[in-house]
Amino acid sequence: MSTPLRLSDLDMPRRNGELAFDAPWQSTVFALAAAVVEHAFGGDREPFRQQLITAIAAEPGRPYWESWTAALEALVETLPRTGLA
Amino acid sequence: MSTGGHHPAPVSPVEQRVAALEALLAERGLVPEGFIEEITRRYESEIGPMNGAQVVARAWVDPGYRQRLLAEGTGAIAELGFGGAEGGHMVVVENTAAVHNVIVCTLCSCYPWPVLGLPPAWYKDPAYRARMVREPRVVLAEMGCPLRDDVEIRVWDSSAEVRYLVLPQRPPGTEDMPEAELAGLVTRDSMIGVARL
Repeated sequence: MSTPLRLSDLDMPRRNGELAFDAPWQSTVFALAAAVVEHAFGGDREPFRQQLITAIAAEPGRPYWESWTAALEALVETLPRTGLA
Repeated sequence: MSTGGHHPAPVSPVEQRVAALEALLAERGLVPEGFIEEITRRYESEIGPMNGAQVVARAWVDPGYRQRLLAEGTGAIAELGFGGAEGGHMVVVENTAAVHNVIVCTLCSCYPWPVLGLPPAWYKDPAYRARMVREPRVVLAEMGCPLRDDVEIRVWDSSAEVRYLVLPQRPPGTEDMPEAELAGLVTRDSMIGVARL
């Protein structure tokens, strides 16, 4: 009953070293999440991970880095407005 | 068509949102100067499956290391200098002739960054995340890794607590190969468990 995985759709790897980012904004938003985890949550990744799970579940078909962006926006909303937590 | 301004290409809505996040976080002092460039550089050039390949090759040539790796992955991986974000609690699962292991993250995209880098696009795909749990034998065959019916498949769902790494079987005929050369045989996919060597 399932749809076969379409290898071309999934960017199937053939070797090591696939580029992780397709566009500069993707590496930026990846690094921004790392910055927030490190500097606002003391290295605890779990709050971000929970937001990412929620964002992916909300729109399963959305491109991954867009879900990542939505997760970071939601996480930033939880930060105190004044700055450093 | 370019108008010759500072932004000749149209900026997509998501790019605008990321730029807004960047400005906001910089204003709050959460993004030190050069932080984005440094993180990007590390993940594009230093952190990747070549690290995991060294771990696997060492385990193939050094039985004591292999034992430590299987008993306590995080510590054994740190012996080779790898650790950090998303590598907090590493569990290494060993393929044998009778057992094939494969890793997935059903909820998001948890993945052992220090040894494999960032996950490939297909690892984050809803189809992979759902189907690898439901029908691993079919999915593995579709991905070019057919297994005999008598090979047991174990699917490991990564989580906040645990990140898995597959220790692939050493290919036959490599008994005399030096460790560095062995590392060159180890592919990312074999350490995720969607390929055999």
